Amino acid sequence: MTAALTLDGVGKRYGDFQAVRDLSFEVGKGQICGFLGPNGAGKTSTLRMILGLQPATTGRIQILGADNGRQVRDRIGFLPEERGLYKKMTPVDAIAFFGSLKGVPTAEGRRRAKELLDAQGLGASKAKKMKELSKGMAQKVQLIASIVHRPEFVILDEPFSGLDPVNQQGLEAMIRGLAADGATVLFSTHVMQHAERLCDKVVLLARGRKAFEGTVTEARATSRRFLELEGDIAADAVSKLPGVTGVEIASEGDGARVLRAALAAGAGGQEALKAAFLTGLDVRRFELREPTLHDAFIDLTGDHPDQDQSVSKAPEAAR
Amino acid sequence: MKRTLLIARREFLAYVRTVGFWLSLLSLPLFGLLGGVMPLLARSSEPVREVVLIEDGPQAAGLAKSVQDVMAADAERRAQRAQEAAEKASASAGGAVDSKAARDAVASLTKDRVRIVPAPAELAAAAPGQPRDAVVRHLLGEETPKDQRLDAIVFLTRQDGKPGARVWTSRASDSTVEDFVRDSLRSANRRQVFQDAGIDPGIVVATDRFRADVKAFSPRSASGGEVSMRDRLPRWVGFGAAFLLWSLVITGASILLNSVMEEKANKILEVLLSSASATEILTGKVLGVAMLTLTVLIVWSGMGAFGLLTAKPELAAAVGEVLLHNGLIFYLLAYTVGGYLMFAVLFAAIGAFCETPRDAQTLMGPIMMVLVVPLLVLQMPDSPVARILSWVPFFTPFLMSARAPSDPPMIEIVGTLIGMAVTALLMVWLAGRAFRAGALSDVKLSWKAFAAAIRGGGN
Repeated sequence: MTAALTLDGVGKRYGDFQAVRDLSFEVGKGQICGFLGPNGAGKTSTLRMILGLQPATTGRIQILGADNGRQVRDRIGFLPEERGLYKKMTPVDAIAFFGSLKGVPTAEGRRRAKELLDAQGLGASKAKKMKELSKGMAQKVQLIASIVHRPEFVILDEPFSGLDPVNQQGLEAMIRGLAADGATVLFSTHVMQHAERLCDKVVLLARGRKAFEGTVTEARATSRRFLELEGDIAADAVSKLPGVTGVEIASEGDGARVLRAALAAGAGGQEALKAAFLTGLDVRRFELREPTLHDAFIDLTGDHPDQDQSVSKAPEAAR
Repeated sequence: MKRTLLIARREFLAYVRTVGFWLSLLSLPLFGLLGGVMPLLARSSEPVREVVLIEDGPQAAGLAKSVQDVMAADAERRAQRAQEAAEKASASAGGAVDSKAARDAVASLTKDRVRIVPAPAELAAAAPGQPRDAVVRHLLGEETPKDQRLDAIVFLTRQDGKPGARVWTSRASDSTVEDFVRDSLRSANRRQVFQDAGIDPGIVVATDRFRADVKAFSPRSASGGEVSMRDRLPRWVGFGAAFLLWSLVITGASILLNSVMEEKANKILEVLLSSASATEILTGKVLGVAMLTLTVLIVWSGMGAFGLLTAKPELAAAVGEVLLHNGLIFYLLAYTVGGYLMFAVLFAAIGAFCETPRDAQTLMGPIMMVLVVPLLVLQMPDSPVARILSWVPFFTPFLMSARAPSDPPMIEIVGTLIGMAVTALLMVWLAGRAFRAGALSDVKLSWKAFAAAIRGGGN
């Protein structure tokens, strides 16, 4: 697959703070790639370098065949993490304006804006001012503004933040639609579930370093499976089962608790279950859980994806 | 270039479509008109005070007549002035204005503010002291019907030969009658003193009316001799141009500051930066606001020129001559461009670091203090201080605009223009770096952070 984006040994330093270290990965044309990591991991800095808004301190970036994102900015769509549009403009005017900056004639931009707004169920809000729209509606408008020029490469920085579950689903559909139309999508998030559902590929970032690059399945495979057991069972007894490497109490209630037993790599769980029944453990419910991307992230980085890794003394630009 | 123009267009339309823009566009001519007409309207609509004059005691005999004589002389003088003004207006309008109608119009605006009325019988019959005071209070009081109520009752007195008065008024806050009586008695006293000294009253009146015929001459005047209004016009034009430029630069730069701050606060700058370069955004915004201020300038100048051409065509022609003399208008244009550029880019760069006006105060305070300096010096355009400060690039646009019409040495014009141009270009470069850094940063604004951004250029 031809690469739409290649990062080779990219680093970014702000004064004494190293925000991104030796980062290399590729995104193939037409792929949806999740760029995952906690806040402060260096995602926004990397995206800004890809866009050419900030130069890399070290390394090389190639996007759509160009060495600098600024050279191909008309072929890229970008939704920043912190969003906003001109409050006194109507959605149609705002979308047409941003489209015109990307080379779409104003009249055509207005036509496309109306079409996209209708498709997103915002037809009734076309003539309203941006300040009159709800946050979810405004975010949709902004996303439309970033793709109205039909970009080949779409970069979305934390696109799901601040959206309610219904709008998150709508956005997921939009992202899938972009990829179906042939666009390459790179989006950053610290919520692993979105990436799990959407991505052909994920790049995990922790403390400015790449922790993993591959498919979601490959990422999950790096992590351990879990056996969840519910009943009046002692943690000690479970830890002695074959293939179990660790046990934690997930929840505890009246005379029953849920235990989460980590299985060793390659262990299927059947042996452990068999042993549990044979030894007469009070197992009322059991479930073999495949690892999630969230689990994989923790295993791969030792960090939690929801924790904030920004350093207080680091410049704010290094988010 | 296309993106720059698109940004400029949006910036221009964003302001032109607001009610505030049209209000401020019309505010200057409107306030100018109101400033000129309102005092006249207020004066013409002012009610005439009905005043009773009472000579208090035999020593005051004749004072009431003296006051009435002064009033009559004053009215005659005003009528004469109204006639002269009306004839002048009629002549300058080529006879299109009827001189009688004009005279009546002027006279109606300068009518008497006081009318002497006879004393009501109850007042004339009242015995001095408490009984008369009671009648006075009654005649001025609220309980008296309006059509019978007096505005003031004046008791004229004479002590040691000097005239005086006790003025009772219906409104304690109104000193109109008091002022009128004071002026009238002073004139009456002067006439009496001169008359007692055996001087003909006609001579006194003629002396009062005398105005010395003083003419100014200068070898540098246009005629080489007598100084005319045309010779002094350049200084007025210079002062006006400098003040206008100062106002436009401050207005334009402030609009830019607020516009960039709004985009920063609403997180629009980053989106813009992904669509256009920092230079394109900065240039577009500066250009858009320049178009806006230019629109205001053209409208105001157009209205001013129309007003001047209508009211004083000869003055309008003279102003036109001054502006075209030695290409002055081009110097003024260059100073306008340079001044606007220097401050506009600086304010825009500051705005890129701020989300609220409070954030901007750190840097704006010292800059505004610096900007006040040329305003103080403008009033003395030929002083050594003005000449020296003209070389400071940040002051050049304002001070040289004020001085240029008075033909300063060419070396000063060229030298200061070069200094200003170099500084303006340097400012554009530095501000561009700071703008780009500020647009992507959440760092708290300080002089230190600003300087660091300029050094680093946001990288």
